[in-house]
Amino acid sequence: MAVVTGAPVKRVRRRFGRLGPNVILLAALIFFVAPLIAMARFALQSIPMIRLGWSTLFDRWSLRGLTDAFSEPTFGPTLILSLKLAAGTVLATLLLLVPTVVFVHLKLPKARSLVEFLTVLPYVVPPIAIVAGVAAFFRPNARWFLNSHYSLIPFYMVLALPFTYRSIDAGIRAIDVRTLADASRSLGAGWVTTIWRALLPNLSSALISASFLTATVVLGEFTIARTLLIETFPTFTFEYYQKSPQGGIALALLTLVASTALLGVLTLLLRRRARRRGGTVAVNPTVAVAPTGGDALSGATAP
Amino acid sequence: MGALTFTGIRKTFGTNVALEHLDLDVHDGELISLLGPSGCGKTTALRIAAGFEMADAGIVSVGGADLSDVPAHKRNMGMVFQSYSLFPNLTVALNVDYGLRTRSIAKPERRRRVAETLELVELTSMASRYPHQLSGGQQQRVALARALAVRPQVLLLDEPLSALDAKVRAALRDEIRRIQTEVGITTLFVTHDQEEALGISDRIGVMSNGRLEQLATPREIYRHPASAFVARFVGSMNELPATVLGPDAVEIGGLRVATAASAGFTHGESVALLVRPEDFVAHLGGTPSAENGLQGTVTAVTFQGPTTIISVRLDRFDKLVSAEMNTAVAPIVIIGDRVGVTIDATRALAERADPAVQPARV
Repeated sequence: MAVVTGAPVKRVRRRFGRLGPNVILLAALIFFVAPLIAMARFALQSIPMIRLGWSTLFDRWSLRGLTDAFSEPTFGPTLILSLKLAAGTVLATLLLLVPTVVFVHLKLPKARSLVEFLTVLPYVVPPIAIVAGVAAFFRPNARWFLNSHYSLIPFYMVLALPFTYRSIDAGIRAIDVRTLADASRSLGAGWVTTIWRALLPNLSSALISASFLTATVVLGEFTIARTLLIETFPTFTFEYYQKSPQGGIALALLTLVASTALLGVLTLLLRRRARRRGGTVAVNPTVAVAPTGGDALSGATAP
Repeated sequence: MGALTFTGIRKTFGTNVALEHLDLDVHDGELISLLGPSGCGKTTALRIAAGFEMADAGIVSVGGADLSDVPAHKRNMGMVFQSYSLFPNLTVALNVDYGLRTRSIAKPERRRRVAETLELVELTSMASRYPHQLSGGQQQRVALARALAVRPQVLLLDEPLSALDAKVRAALRDEIRRIQTEVGITTLFVTHDQEEALGISDRIGVMSNGRLEQLATPREIYRHPASAFVARFVGSMNELPATVLGPDAVEIGGLRVATAASAGFTHGESVALLVRPEDFVAHLGGTPSAENGLQGTVTAVTFQGPTTIISVRLDRFDKLVSAEMNTAVAPIVIIGDRVGVTIDATRALAERADPAVQPARV
């Protein structure tokens, strides 16, 4: 008489149970990674495209496409300008948005849905429409504004708004902002000190995320810069692509890899920080081990 | 320190009147509890004192100085909130230091005060911990230390115990009282928990619908409530339908009961007589011979340690009353026992009965 035991059946079920998700995961991986590999081969293998195949997978890899791009005279200035624009946009966004979101949460909670709607508008209105409208207004009235490279900052702030607002809003929702603000004020701190010392340190994860997203938007934006005839890194990449498709793709790939690496580092840092701090930040909050010893007052804020 | 005074405070939120002509004087070094149900205006009063809300009318003053137009951060008040409100990114010591640093006090003095205040709340050993590493009770003690470290003129406590479990709540309540007495700070304590208010306060202000119903000592509030609302809200209360026989007696279920509560009502008027459970005396056997006696059957027995509450359904009219007995001397009763109930109505309160509810007669 056959004896059926539960364990092998369970094992088979477990194996087939995992199959579905694994197939989907594999398909997704191929969907995302295959174009990147194709990009990398096109950009970094010195082989005519028609000969790219399995047999030439490991042949003639070289960074020449990139080094040629680096040696272009406009590469450095456009990259530096884009980095400056990114830094300026991040700073201006945080300065403007943090007090606004705090104010809306504390004083105008009913206006939150309206503000959320407004922040989604950049999704709805195409960048070309924004820049055409703004340029039509400023050209006759304040040409100096459009003449400056930094005139891009307000445009980039608007473009990044859907990401930055949500990131900061989520951070504020994760803490009891009203009680923290009231506690700080009852201890003698004005609004500036309250935001600087009581709220910002507890919003750092949200602020870092918002900053990263803003920088990514700036380093990838092409339409507005091109329309206003300002040479930024994305416009340089596009123009270089016209001249040298291989080098242009290599630059695009580098930007992609650098952004992904930055995101990876950021996620790791936030995760480590969340572990140390024990659950006050949005990323994987876990309970930390108690720090011991040392002079408590001489200690700085939580890392 | 200084006395905290509310004079003619009125506050509305849209069409909702949160406070109506609040007059309250918290004496120097005194602890007053504002007690009332949700939405009665007690927290609004506290937030107006703290400067987080501005009154529509009236004056808030401390030590005689009008603070009505002074912003919250310049009022020199310490506040402890219902949710722990500690800064999660700062250690216990740095939380306590926050207000001192804001006031630009020199570092050696700050160190001294932090150490001193942590010692006061018995948390010196926790100085380098972060809030998430503390229990709820410990966090509230840190919040208390943080509020006291700045040496405020007035301490404001906004339901600081309501997030804690019963045992911790009782212990912290006693500790707050100990510290308040030790420091001698003028304190306004907001709570909806009558036990807390009765146990901690010098005086209690019972609030209802934005008004102060009664301000008196805990004993006075309990034994001589100024209104039916206060009587019902503080402690438990039996309500018996009665008919006024004169200024010193009412009739309950055909029985004459002596009470001064009927004074002010007209003969024959229907009233509700409010009697505390401990003012009912139950006799096993159901044959009370004294005046004011009623008979009934025990329907529930609740042992509470030092006291036992029995619920009795009265024979003469279908009414359930609770009687509180001292466990040590009370007879042992079980459900279904016949008992006689004597009413000591000397401290009872009467209010005009709802015309729809007529007293039952035999």
